[in-house]
Amino acid sequence: MKIEKGIIASSQLTFMIIGFIQASNLLLSFSSGIVSHDAWLAILIAMVLSIPFVLSYAALGREFPGKNLIQISDIIYGVYLGKIISVSYVFIFFALVCQNLRYFSDFLITFIFPETPIWAILIMLTFISAWAVRAGIEVIARCSFIIIAIASTIILATSLLLLPDMRFRNFLPILDVPLQDLIHGTHIIFSINYLEIVVFLMVIAFVNKPKQIKTSMVGGLILGGVSVLILEVRNTAVLGTVSEIVSSPSFVTARYISVAEVLTRMEMFVAIMLITTVFLKVSILYYAVVLGSAQIINLRSYVPLVIPIGISAISFSIILAGSSMEQIHSAIYTWPVFILPFQLFPVLSLFIVKIRKKFKKRWANKK
Amino acid sequence: MRIGKGMLSIIICVFLVLSLSGCWNRRELDTFSILMGMGIDKAEELGKIQLTAQIVKPGDLKSEGGSDAKAYFTVQAIGDTVFDTVRNFTKETNRKIYLPHSQVLIFGRDIATEGVQKYTDFFVRDHETRLRTHVLVARGEAGKILDVESKLEKVPAVGISHLLKAQNATSEAIEVDLKQFICRLMSKTTAPIAPLIEISGEGEKETLRIPGIAVFKQDKLAGELTGGEARGLLWVIGEIKSGIIIIDCPSGEDKISMEIIRASSKVIPKIIDDQIYITVKIEEEGHIGDQECPDKLSLPDIKELEQKKASVIRSEVLASLEKAQKLNTDIFGFGEAVHQKYPKQWDDLEKRWDDVFPEIEVEILVDARVRRSGTLIESVSQ
Amino acid sequence: MLNYLSKKIRFWQIQNQKTNHENDKMNKQDNTQNFSQSKISLNLKENLNNLKNILGPSDDIIMREFAFGKKAQISAALIYIDGMIDKTLVNESIIRPLMYDSRSSFAEESLEVKNIDIIKRSMLSVGEVKQVTTFDEVVESCLSGDTILLINGAQEALIISSRGWESRGVEDPKTESIVRGPREGFSESLRTNTTLLRRKLKTPDLTMETMTIGRKSKTDVCLVYLKGVVNPQLIKEARQRLTRIDTDGILESGYIEQFIEDAPFSIFSTIGNSERPDAVAAKILEGRAAVLVDGSPFVLTVPMVFIESFQSSEDYYSRPYYASIVRVIRFIAFMTSVLGPASYVAVTTFHQELLPTPLLFTVAAAVEGTPFPAMIEIIAMGVIFEILREAGIRLPRPVGQAISIVGALVVGESAVSAGLIGEPVVIVIALTAVSGFAVPAQTDSGAILRFVFVILAGTMGGVGVIVGLLGVLIHLASLRSFGTPYLSPLAPLSPYDLKDVFIRVPTWAMITRPRTIGWKNSQREKLILKPNPPPEKNQKK
Repeated sequence: MKIEKGIIASSQLTFMIIGFIQASNLLLSFSSGIVSHDAWLAILIAMVLSIPFVLSYAALGREFPGKNLIQISDIIYGVYLGKIISVSYVFIFFALVCQNLRYFSDFLITFIFPETPIWAILIMLTFISAWAVRAGIEVIARCSFIIIAIASTIILATSLLLLPDMRFRNFLPILDVPLQDLIHGTHIIFSINYLEIVVFLMVIAFVNKPKQIKTSMVGGLILGGVSVLILEVRNTAVLGTVSEIVSSPSFVTARYISVAEVLTRMEMFVAIMLITTVFLKVSILYYAVVLGSAQIINLRSYVPLVIPIGISAISFSIILAGSSMEQIHSAIYTWPVFILPFQLFPVLSLFIVKIRKKFKKRWANKK
Repeated sequence: MRIGKGMLSIIICVFLVLSLSGCWNRRELDTFSILMGMGIDKAEELGKIQLTAQIVKPGDLKSEGGSDAKAYFTVQAIGDTVFDTVRNFTKETNRKIYLPHSQVLIFGRDIATEGVQKYTDFFVRDHETRLRTHVLVARGEAGKILDVESKLEKVPAVGISHLLKAQNATSEAIEVDLKQFICRLMSKTTAPIAPLIEISGEGEKETLRIPGIAVFKQDKLAGELTGGEARGLLWVIGEIKSGIIIIDCPSGEDKISMEIIRASSKVIPKIIDDQIYITVKIEEEGHIGDQECPDKLSLPDIKELEQKKASVIRSEVLASLEKAQKLNTDIFGFGEAVHQKYPKQWDDLEKRWDDVFPEIEVEILVDARVRRSGTLIESVSQ
Repeated sequence: MLNYLSKKIRFWQIQNQKTNHENDKMNKQDNTQNFSQSKISLNLKENLNNLKNILGPSDDIIMREFAFGKKAQISAALIYIDGMIDKTLVNESIIRPLMYDSRSSFAEESLEVKNIDIIKRSMLSVGEVKQVTTFDEVVESCLSGDTILLINGAQEALIISSRGWESRGVEDPKTESIVRGPREGFSESLRTNTTLLRRKLKTPDLTMETMTIGRKSKTDVCLVYLKGVVNPQLIKEARQRLTRIDTDGILESGYIEQFIEDAPFSIFSTIGNSERPDAVAAKILEGRAAVLVDGSPFVLTVPMVFIESFQSSEDYYSRPYYASIVRVIRFIAFMTSVLGPASYVAVTTFHQELLPTPLLFTVAAAVEGTPFPAMIEIIAMGVIFEILREAGIRLPRPVGQAISIVGALVVGESAVSAGLIGEPVVIVIALTAVSGFAVPAQTDSGAILRFVFVILAGTMGGVGVIVGLLGVLIHLASLRSFGTPYLSPLAPLSPYDLKDVFIRVPTWAMITRPRTIGWKNSQREKLILKPNPPPEKNQKK
């Protein structure tokens, strides 16, 4: 019996990836201090670099139609090694859930609710994600289009309203930062903003037309990347050097909107965009954790795991970091290095599968 | 069917949690006082600062029956740091100060000469403050500025921000908001600028006036630009919105006033043999707004007018350049321009920019045009 | 997807089956005591006595005994219910031929007349006559307005269709009034309603399956669909759900709705209803099925999608530009009615920085000195509005005027001038109230959501509202109505169907039926129907 009966369309996969990447625009501030006004370049380079990886994820998914990461690991590496790999992936996804929840809650507390305890916000966000996860991947996928439509409208509208305040001279001179810093910044964006979509290896098994996975994943990556790029260009063009020191340039930029003194104070729209896309991102990660753990311990349904994992995610988010500065520090210096192997690993798996196939063929031919 | 018992109970739990949270960050409109403008001065006590806050009285905002009650009041507090002082306001007002609608931030002359960098952090860091707040420098005490009633606006701070907008008509002062101020402050070479404000007249006739632009060296007030000098700066940084240029009639007597309709500028740096040359290209278009002489202007006359106008503009720019080089403050952002064009040489130049800037040679190319002559074809003549 | 759904339903059914079975057994026993499955006997007197026992002593049951034949030698009885039959028909087409004409025509075979076939074939000038043998059938048809002819010596009874009772004619529908479009609305009589539909869709494909639901009410329920267009799976599902209903009475289509809907706990209705034959016909043409219930002018249509609430039949009658604008306005109105008060509360108690400064001054001046927090004000005003609305609906017309005066003057004007509430609250509530009615299909869910969002806004501010909206989104996305995702064509996205969501494209461009509903035969019109002025060549010819 299949653990998830839902089927998602390939277009929905695209929407989910777009939302996933849009949500991470909040995390751009990690690198903006390092690459300053060349952040757009780092985003572009990271996007181009991540395309081959995403292609290999899609190829891995196509090698095993209808199988997700957990099942694939079991097949390639056998039961024991496979289980170890699956458990570590589930743990990584869990950590991602917590980090995203924590960082977003910190953002909300910083900008909107300075006196609210973090658990209240965490409970609220986790509850809404848990609801979506319970409803299944189909519902998350269906929500994705509406969320993307709203988020994209907000991105475009705020960018248009800020057009008079943009100074494109802020981008000059191009490549101002030392190469080392550029690589560092690109790496952060590469592994935090883009390649977290390794989690979609848990999802692409449910796509109705496996042939289109490749196009929809790359399409999602590029569209999402472009929308993040638009945001970054907007922020730097409007805020200039200030965008390097604030913790959420997008939000601060939206605050800066003032058209005819009537269209002012648009930050709530950015908050809507952030909450909805972060919800989508957290839901997908959360779903991956729940589904993965259910598969590892061979449950018939993942629903009983939703609440326990949600509660542990809340607690883990609280103890994750002592302060938001601590989290930012780890996001800049340790996390991108730590997570990189997990993002490269599917490529290795694909390699192994391909080689094995070749040898099998040759062997079969000899026989 | 989908929402089973479990889900229902979770929903109930969440609502209970929500109702618990009732008191965090909740504030009714009538529980805080809306700050409209803030002035920072040095306190008499050494090392302390004095903040003056202009706060609206919402109850008196409605003008019913022509009540003469002022719709605002000002309070003052003294403290060690900005944040500390802001909190100290609660010692005198029963409601907590609410910052997001603050329109103006005025630095007193004393504090501006001492350096403003340490007082700006709060206004960027705090989640309530906004980068759209106007930054001004008072000729005198900032607190007194906030006490002056506005003739047209119920709240003087709103009056000040409108007054700043109105400066577009002459382009002899510039609107600077916190973001622009901070950007210039964070730059190693470009000097911050802010409009000046002063009280003119006395007693009943007391009003506020924007006399020009305050120029900072790093974060310390270095000098002032007034009139043509100020406009000279605006020509270079491309912030001219409107304004009047007065030139002589072709006949030599009487004046013609030209209105500036649009203007743009371009700063082109060039390094030849370690010497920096800057070319400032200014393009301007204008109309004839007022002609005192009764002459009928021929086409060559118009060309002449354009040249005269160009030379007026050039002299304004030169005046401001001279002043800036004298004060050694790069208000034009020449440093940034060089940085953008010559990033390799910049590392070296940046360190000795203070020595370089006063020596820079600037070439000013002005292309001024007269496009229209108002509703008249010929002048009013006898 | 349908499989998944039907599995769910089957599971649900199994759960309920046990109890159903028990109920059935009890009912059966109940029935056998009163109604006899027994056959009609040869003796008329005995039959009549039996019937009297069954039908009870009600005054409106008329048993007219008479004799006919050449010598009036055959005794017979007509049983009908007064008021439910067409009296002229009974008199002219049943009694008259039997009592007068039989004298001449039965001359020879008078004794054979007992052969009920002959009577049926040659004597009754009535359209629909049925032969039955059990009391069960007799009683049932008698109660639904048919006339029963019992003849002494015959083991069969004739059921003569003579239904005809006072009913409301076809009138302008009270709800869903439109400016342009047909003025007729459904009425309470099932037959009238089916006729109205049949007149719109004159095709043999229009299928009407009638079934009787309700142990006591024996309500006729009619499932109407367009064969070849509708998804057979949908009809199977609908039929299954309808036959499952086992209750004592169905008095309105609302009863049926609650028995067959997919999400009984949801505040959103997953079954559409309409009073307009044109609207229902349009939905049937799109591949939906309609459920007509005798005694109710409200016809149910399934499946229903969320977007349907924002569509009015007039959208399709007026030209597309304005119709599209109106569509968008309805969305705005719905959002206003749901989020208006919540945004007011959120902005005035949490996010004052979001108001432009001049607006903040106005609002601050207005609420200065009011005693209650914004949330309390909004909730109180909201409740007062709901009270006024409810009272306004129930009150007789002339008194209704008084209510609106009291509402407008006392609650609005005086409360403000007394300083109890601020003017903005009154404005917000008034705006909300008005916009709520722009989308009639969602007024009830809108009103509930409004209060939920106000509470969310009052506790967690804008973030609470957004999270609430996400919750609503998840809920809506997880709903299905008879296999169709409730949020289609938005989620899951089906780009071709967006032609009728936020904009309404011209009719000639609506080439296909909604894909998520009518999967079969999806092209509804010829491809190139865009009106073009004839080219000049043709004119010359």
